[in-house]
Amino acid sequence: MEKSTVVIVKKRKGQSAIRTDPEAIREMYLQGLTALTDQKNPGDALHVFFKDKDRVGIKINTIGGRSISTTPETSLSLAKLLVDNGWNADNVLIWDRTNRELKEAGYSLNMNQRGIKVFGTDSNSMGYNRNLIAFLNIGSLFSSIQADTITASVSLAVLKDHGLAGVTAGMKNYFGAIHNPNKYHDNNCNPFIAELFGTPTIRDKHKISILDALKVQYHRGPSSHPKWAENYGALILSRDPVAADTVGWQIIKKLRKKKGLPSLEEEQRPPKYLDTAERMGLGTSNLKNITIIEIEV
Amino acid sequence: MNRRKFLKTTGCAGLALGSGTSGWLMDLYTFQDTANLSEVEARYYKKHPDREIECVLCPRFCKLGDKERGYCGVRENKDGIYYTLVYGKACTVAVDPIEKKPLFHFMPGSSALSLASAGCNVNCKFCQNWEISQVRPEQVRHVDFAPAAVARAAKQYNAPVIAYTYSEPIVFYEYMYDTSIEARKKGIKNVVITGGHVNPEPLEELIGVVDAIKVDLKAFTQNFYTDYVRGELQPVLDAIKIISRRKTWLEIVYLVIPTLNDSDAEIRRLSQWVLQEVGPDVPLHFSRFHPMYLLKNLPPTPISTLEKARNVARKEGINYVYIGNVPGHEAENTYCPKCFNICIERRGYTIKKSYVKNGKCTFCDFPIPGVWT
Repeated sequence: MEKSTVVIVKKRKGQSAIRTDPEAIREMYLQGLTALTDQKNPGDALHVFFKDKDRVGIKINTIGGRSISTTPETSLSLAKLLVDNGWNADNVLIWDRTNRELKEAGYSLNMNQRGIKVFGTDSNSMGYNRNLIAFLNIGSLFSSIQADTITASVSLAVLKDHGLAGVTAGMKNYFGAIHNPNKYHDNNCNPFIAELFGTPTIRDKHKISILDALKVQYHRGPSSHPKWAENYGALILSRDPVAADTVGWQIIKKLRKKKGLPSLEEEQRPPKYLDTAERMGLGTSNLKNITIIEIEV
Repeated sequence: MNRRKFLKTTGCAGLALGSGTSGWLMDLYTFQDTANLSEVEARYYKKHPDREIECVLCPRFCKLGDKERGYCGVRENKDGIYYTLVYGKACTVAVDPIEKKPLFHFMPGSSALSLASAGCNVNCKFCQNWEISQVRPEQVRHVDFAPAAVARAAKQYNAPVIAYTYSEPIVFYEYMYDTSIEARKKGIKNVVITGGHVNPEPLEELIGVVDAIKVDLKAFTQNFYTDYVRGELQPVLDAIKIISRRKTWLEIVYLVIPTLNDSDAEIRRLSQWVLQEVGPDVPLHFSRFHPMYLLKNLPPTPISTLEKARNVARKEGINYVYIGNVPGHEAENTYCPKCFNICIERRGYTIKKSYVKNGKCTFCDFPIPGVWT
């Protein structure tokens, strides 16, 4: 079995300010993408994931407000990297569920024809696709952005502890792409996170998981609790969505141990959906099958 | 009264009013501004440290951090306070015959002003109203329809009953409760059409202000509730017992789904339980399933299956067993258990003839249980 690769790009110094430092974040993307793809320049690296004519959706996570959401600097740096390497800005879209949450997380909306777009599913011309999609235990309407607008998707989610799922990261981020995420929190969100990711609407378009671990909520997430958040200063990149989240879990595990907190297993909420996802063939949750490349910048 | 006049007099501008299902379907795909949702503090929840809360309205006991919503999708923790987002926010309003609920022994032939908000605390794969029950309130059109205005509208529309129905009224508990109080002030009765997935304390309190409850018992096995309802059976059975003990008028509907909950053994166990816990006089409706929502791979229930279920229940000793969703079937009628004459003749939702007077069969004077006026 071929191993999956996960790249952790970590800032050596100044972690507390990095979330709002676009130049530093850009450098992290450059290092991470080239290492992940074994390409020499960022354009070639990005072409591993995206075609020239792709409409690229960057699905971010803004439920946590300013304190624990994907920051504009983090997502816009990636969007600009795409544009600088030849993608048409009109075809790059940063999005989440609602305009309100985007604004509360510090974003300026752009719904114009021109330029990098930033808007939510609840924008006037969007909403949910009318076709109810049923897949295993999932029955949902999908955001028109995910279903109809974009052709390639990046999951750019904040790495957080989650009171039910254990860990919320790249895969669970797609809960924000459906109309009824509240229906999928039973049984530690298992098998729902894996099955949602397995729907063709997500799986066929997902190209790369990038976990925003610049600041990690390692306890009492997904809500913001500053006393249990760490400026970890890292981005985690992988083509394997399960491997990316598995490595994210290891970081939360490490931080919890460092702070003297019980493990997620001890709290009866390990992210069981990762093993489910592996069984479904979505990626690997076995650390032995994951090559981790750590880069310090 | 025509629709325009109704909307004008009730202050329901923008709401589609209908007298049947075709009238109430809202546009799911038009977003409402979330600022237009209500922010009324919920009545049944516990506060925990660090702005976390625990909802105790239904057996899910959702534990939520700041900005999170419960399973129902219509209650949200905002900075440690739990709010209902649908208080006074009706997404569906219609005037239905009470028989449509169905309630067969409760003021037959009456009109019921029927209303719903978005949301539900289970997720039945066969839901007939999923366009409103399985969505968040900002995903459906809704109108401001305050409790007093609802009561006023019922009066103006000559509806002696208000029915909380279509989605799951337990999730709009506060709205239903306050509307029931307003209705009672005007002599209007309140009926609740529910899956019964509610905790005892809020149910007991609700019973104090409503007049009848119809419970959808979806099956008689936990496996079915796990796989097809995403809920728990036992709390529903407990709710039925509480309603019966409190002597609130109760009817039970059982949607018979081919191969999933239609075995003779299950129907027999259900009937025996009803007989033992509630008694022989609770009306029991076996309704016909039609493929819907996430359960489209099964055919509609054969009428013979419904008739078999009815026979099993009657054999076990249930006196009033009906077949629903089969217009024109003889089992839509109420039969006197003593003289076997038809006491109430129905066709669909229409009462053709009634031979119940002062709560008794006019042929033999046998008391027919129910609320008749």
